[in-house]
Amino acid sequence: MDLGLHVNVTRLGTERDALLAPLAFAVSPGAVCTLMGPSGVGKSSLLAAIAGTLSVVSEGLRPLVFEGTITLNGRRVEALPAYQRGIGLVTQEPLLFPHLTVAENLAFGIAQSSGKAKRAALVAQALQAADLQGYGDADPSRLSGGQRARVALMRALLAEPRALLLDEPFSKLDETLRQHIRDWFFAQVLSRQIPAVLVTHDPSDIADREHLIDLAHAG
Amino acid sequence: MGWFDRERMDSPLRAMIERKASIAVASVAGCLLAPALLAAIWMAVKPVLQSSPWADLWQDPRTFDALTATLWTSIAASLLAWCSAAYLLRQAFIGGQSGRWLNRLPPLLATPHAAMAIAVTLWIAPTGWLFRLSSPWLTGFDAPPPWATTQDTWGIGLILVLWLKELPFLCWVAATQLHRDDVRRRWHAEYAVALTMGRSPQSAFAEVVWPQLARLMRWPLVAVLAYNMTVVDVALIIGPTAPPTLAVLAWEWLRDADLALNHQGVAAAWLLAALLIAISAVLWATVTRVVTGFPNRQAIGLGWVTLFLVYALAWLALLVGSVSGLWPFPDVWPDHWQANDWLRVTDNLDSVWTTVGLGTLSATLTLLWLVAWLECAPQNWQAVMRPILLAPMVLPPLLWVFGLYQVALWGHWEGAWPGMVVAHAVMAMPYALLALESVYKASDRRLQSVALSLGRHPMTYLLVVKWPLLKRALWSAWAIAFAVSVAQFLPTLYIGAGRFVTVTTEAVAQSAAGQRGLMSAYALLQTVLPLLVFAIAVMMGRPRHFTKDQTWT
Repeated sequence: MDLGLHVNVTRLGTERDALLAPLAFAVSPGAVCTLMGPSGVGKSSLLAAIAGTLSVVSEGLRPLVFEGTITLNGRRVEALPAYQRGIGLVTQEPLLFPHLTVAENLAFGIAQSSGKAKRAALVAQALQAADLQGYGDADPSRLSGGQRARVALMRALLAEPRALLLDEPFSKLDETLRQHIRDWFFAQVLSRQIPAVLVTHDPSDIADREHLIDLAHAG
Repeated sequence: MGWFDRERMDSPLRAMIERKASIAVASVAGCLLAPALLAAIWMAVKPVLQSSPWADLWQDPRTFDALTATLWTSIAASLLAWCSAAYLLRQAFIGGQSGRWLNRLPPLLATPHAAMAIAVTLWIAPTGWLFRLSSPWLTGFDAPPPWATTQDTWGIGLILVLWLKELPFLCWVAATQLHRDDVRRRWHAEYAVALTMGRSPQSAFAEVVWPQLARLMRWPLVAVLAYNMTVVDVALIIGPTAPPTLAVLAWEWLRDADLALNHQGVAAAWLLAALLIAISAVLWATVTRVVTGFPNRQAIGLGWVTLFLVYALAWLALLVGSVSGLWPFPDVWPDHWQANDWLRVTDNLDSVWTTVGLGTLSATLTLLWLVAWLECAPQNWQAVMRPILLAPMVLPPLLWVFGLYQVALWGHWEGAWPGMVVAHAVMAMPYALLALESVYKASDRRLQSVALSLGRHPMTYLLVVKWPLLKRALWSAWAIAFAVSVAQFLPTLYIGAGRFVTVTTEAVAQSAAGQRGLMSAYALLQTVLPLLVFAIAVMMGRPRHFTKDQTWT
């Protein structure tokens, strides 16, 4: 079986205009592939296409269309709806559900079949790992920016995705925090052995120079 | 948490079925409603395709005077409401207090037209408080003057009631826009720019904010005009009588046993619809310019305080009217107080339960219908259907009622609960749509992306994230639909085939019978029931209160 994430874009854009030039790349388990490029080049749309949320983000205006293949661990997923792909997405805004507590946010993606006790244990473990012990019942809007970013990352990991997409998740953090969370996160990806795609503006975010795609020069 | 477990099943087919299902729901929600509405319109067109109803209408000696009364009262009340709404909105916006006043509108909206008409009657009648308070020291009257102050030929009372009732409605429509974060922020920013360019607050508002706001309020203004031109219950209570307004005449004709006279009534309703379109076209082109002419007074909130005070006085009149016994003329307060009228109301609570039942069922139906539609229908369908869904607010209720009755006859639904619930839901639909639509569409789609990418079913997203986040808007749309249902008079009488007695039909009937105590009691109930529901909606719609964590510092 061909492990990892294989993306092959033949076309991404509106009915009339293509947003990206044709593009193909592969990410092996535990690796972080970095996508760079100027604003408006279609990085976020590419992530949405891979995650399967293209129709959600572009509804109404000019719907974006994706043509190509996405293969995850040997399985074609591009025809599956987003919730069946097993591809997690973390965005620049943490987008915590404002009406749920921190713990409820974390538990949102854990499978119901795990059972209540197991879920609670997983949440407690995640709070500990994110250095947020005691914040389980807190209102997410009262967390600091760094705490919120950690909850968002932890929430995505708890859903046990088979691949992760990261859309500038560190950009709202200050320099010291950024370094810390980034290292912690790359370690998580490595230990879980899942492929990850990271979109960023900041060269210091690049995890692995071997896995770097510069969209400005790709076309 | 979730009702649906994560699906790991490989199934593009399943996703396709789900998309089809959502289209099917949209079709049921929208496309069953549309034929029902179109059928209702068609049923109302059929009788007037021959020339005889029109000839009868022209030859009726009362038609012309009735039409004059209708045009005068409806246009005067609409323009008064529009100008004063512009004034109040400017005060609220400039004072930075739009939230403070606009959030308090629900009690005013919950007061039905008929209740306000009865309250105004209690104030301005020859035996009303105005004359009592000013007699004999000012007027010299020792007995009530023999004047027709409530059902005056000029329709002043009618204009007053319609003005007072439509003013909060227009302000509420503006509030649905001003409560949108994106819109409010943009307008305040533009207003601030105008201020930095040396405009006075008044002219900054008039030139930057008002043109944008007024454009969005033109359809509601048409709704106000339509209501004023075709209202029956208020005109029965406080409108002129010799002749009455054309809508009241048409209503009499529609209820007659004579089929030719029925058709004459339908013709009159269509005449009103045609005139409505003509007058609306004129207003449409001119009303956005209205605000600039107002005096530059900074008395912030004075207009708002007056508005709320008038409503408070109206409620007070209803309360005192319902418990007053013997009350000799110039005395300000009754000699005797009594609870007989309330005892008669509580002896037979059928009308209250019917009102509550109809309101609850039809508001729930409206909300289910509307959410299914907003959630499932593609954008372009929504654009096409929007005017049809809003139509019940703009087309004369007389026509709806006649058409829906014919549809109900065809389905053997007249005088039965299902027909009544559907009829009320149709009338409530446009108001609920106005209340919910913009908030519903503004919900953050990025949260949906997150929920789906966490592997949760779209339905889980709706049940756990989207609808809980929208609960305030959903509950208030439900409460508004309930209030609209409570206030319905024509559909209740006509489609209910007289078998449904609600607090509204009772209030109008007791007013016609001149029963001061009973009509006040029912008018008060008419107000209290929606108010209770608004209170429930506010309570249920409160955002979640997070328990403060002990380890929090």
